Amino acid sequence: MANMDDDLADETVFVVEDVRKVVKESIEVTIGDNAYQQNRVNQWTTNVVEQSLSQLSKLGKPFKYIVTCVIMQKTGAGVQSASACFWDNTTDGNCSVTWENKSMYCIVSVFGLAI
Amino acid sequence: MEEYNSGDELYLCVFQCIEGVIGGTDYNQSKVNQWTASIVEQSLAHLVKQGRPLKYMVNCTIMQKSGAGLHTANSCYWDTTTDGCCTVRWENRTMYCVVSVFVVALAL
Repeated sequence: MANMDDDLADETVFVVEDVRKVVKESIEVTIGDNAYQQNRVNQWTTNVVEQSLSQLSKLGKPFKYIVTCVIMQKTGAGVQSASACFWDNTTDGNCSVTWENKSMYCIVSVFGLAI
Repeated sequence: MEEYNSGDELYLCVFQCIEGVIGGTDYNQSKVNQWTASIVEQSLAHLVKQGRPLKYMVNCTIMQKSGAGLHTANSCYWDTTTDGCCTVRWENRTMYCVVSVFVVALAL
């Protein structure tokens, strides 16, 4: 009985680890070892968010999702990102994944809101 | 169900928050942390004050101008009739600032 309750609770809570796995895989599959290319980066950001979103919706949870992706070329520039959210702390959550290779940084943020 | 407030109103509100925090300043590595935090907190406070039954997410990115390429994208899985987003791009001589606001209605 205790196990069943835990499973039910899990259904309506944002699970960071599951989301992190989905996002890392989407980035690896889309960008992998590629070097920064200005004419391809548009397609990469689109693919990363679309891939992440479709995998997240496949998790089948009663959630709305927002996925953002930032890709930045490595040239020594400084970049800072922050976010603030007004939601239900008990069920909603977010997950940020920072990935890099030799020529670029990729930052993906996922916000999940329970319906 | 309430729809998110009109794009213009939201855009102006966020733009003013950005101007208020970093208008007239140059990129400063030791202050940028504080700037992004202030921008998101002030924007969020203004939105929440409107007292609508909505959830908000505000995201702010500040990048130093150094010739680097920066690309952002977002994708959302929600109710397109009630939810929405707005992105504000701002720049000065030394930095770019991109703020995205996502507004989600509460399902009744």
